[in-house]
Amino acid sequence: MSREDDVLRAEFDLEFTYTRSTGPVIGRFYTDLRDGKLCGIKASDGRVLCPPQEYDPVTAEDLSEFVSLPDTGVVTVWNWVKQPRAKHPLQKAFAWALIKIDGADTPMLHAVDAGSESAMKPGMKVKVRWAKERKGAITDIACFEPA
Amino acid sequence: MANACAVVGVGQSARYRSKIKMSIAGLVREAAQEALKDAGCTWNDIDAVIIGKAPDFFEGVVMPEIYLAEALGCVGKPMLRVHTAGSVGGSTAIVAASYVQSGQFNRVLTVAYEKQSESNAMWALSSKQPFSPHLNAGAGGFFAPIIREYMRRSGAPADTGCKVALKDRKHALRNPRAHMHEKPEDLDLEKYVNSFMLWEPLRFSEVCPSSDGACAMVLASEDLAKKSPNPPAWIHGAAMRSEPTMYPWREEVNPQAGIDCAKDVYSQAGITNPRKEIDAAEVYVPFSWYEPMWLENLGFAEVNQGWKLTEEGATFIDGGDIPWNCSGGVLSSNPIGASGMIRFAEAALQVRGMAGEHQVDGAKTALGHAYGGGSQFFAMWIVRSTKP
Repeated sequence: MSREDDVLRAEFDLEFTYTRSTGPVIGRFYTDLRDGKLCGIKASDGRVLCPPQEYDPVTAEDLSEFVSLPDTGVVTVWNWVKQPRAKHPLQKAFAWALIKIDGADTPMLHAVDAGSESAMKPGMKVKVRWAKERKGAITDIACFEPA
Repeated sequence: MANACAVVGVGQSARYRSKIKMSIAGLVREAAQEALKDAGCTWNDIDAVIIGKAPDFFEGVVMPEIYLAEALGCVGKPMLRVHTAGSVGGSTAIVAASYVQSGQFNRVLTVAYEKQSESNAMWALSSKQPFSPHLNAGAGGFFAPIIREYMRRSGAPADTGCKVALKDRKHALRNPRAHMHEKPEDLDLEKYVNSFMLWEPLRFSEVCPSSDGACAMVLASEDLAKKSPNPPAWIHGAAMRSEPTMYPWREEVNPQAGIDCAKDVYSQAGITNPRKEIDAAEVYVPFSWYEPMWLENLGFAEVNQGWKLTEEGATFIDGGDIPWNCSGGVLSSNPIGASGMIRFAEAALQVRGMAGEHQVDGAKTALGHAYGGGSQFFAMWIVRSTKP
């Protein structure tokens, strides 16, 4: 049995910064976020998808009809995080939630700063809390908060 | 006895480049749509999609096949991901073909891709480890000592590698999709042998570029292939073999798995003399010296004699009796995950008579080849213009 101080230890940080071409649809979504706006896209069956998708989930055709959306929505389901981790968007207890933006037919995943678990309810109205500095990324939405 | 299967559609990126400004979904879709068009069909005509991709951590997208479902029209359809490192494009084509040969599906779309501009293969292959010196070696650093051993054994002239690279870059000028289109005045042996040393004995001029790109094929059963608008390339043999990266008696210069794989695929296709019976070959040569090494491994030349074929010009499209990599090969375009499938697809284009300016006149039988990992994964197929 080796003692604790017999064990070799070394710093080991393995990291690499990936880049990504976002394309005409996700790229537009991110650009809108930077400008403090939300957009969706119209699918072949008439549904509005938010976040938008490049290709239709039913027919696989290219999608291009963007729809401007408000920065409000409703929570469909959530998961309460009691102890956030260092890379989580909030450093206090919060909810990961699926949020259907008003005017959209599909939900998006984001954080909700509701204060306490008991404040979370299905169908609760929320609105975007925009990040102070925005740069065209999903983190431009700091989180959602009760509306 | 397996059912017959043929390549009825081929699609590739319009041009392999160092940076294609499309999403990954857009990249695979471009190739897939071209393959569908060639095959005269739509997304609805496809029964299943088989995707190949080199390691996830190259681009940092885990299980990318799931995100690509809409782009490839396969929501609600069977989809399978294949992963065998650099040989993955070849293995993926073989897996896709096996679904048609087994009768499970009648028409399959198969796709492979890489976005080297959004990844870092060098980093991914040479990550720093605690208590070890950090060797920023990459693939070239791994293969260079094996090449030195080949040179020692065979006594090949030092510039054979440069001649291979020069030949493939000349081929690339006939392929509008090739990444490397060098100026004619730069296609000069003097310049090639004086280019800077990267990994002794490999010079900059002798290594593949880092490319973005995708390749796709539509594979169909006999009935459907006979109705397809363009000539089919019939699969006469398909084989895969692998061996561990390291074991004490491993023959690294001429790997046993490659020899066994070639033997298997030739026997399926009834080939006894590959140099005589194969009209065109697309063989995975990312570093120049792998042409003479694979000429031997694949039975086109005796052991330690492969370099003579290169020196004689046997592998050049003009006047060569066994043209290798008329598309320009991996030395001219290397979207890693796609590179193996490009070899298989280019072999198919040759026997379909659809290779354009780099067509080998009257090619009836062609070999597609891919290798990956530390020369340990092999995938090969033989396609012909006639049905088995």
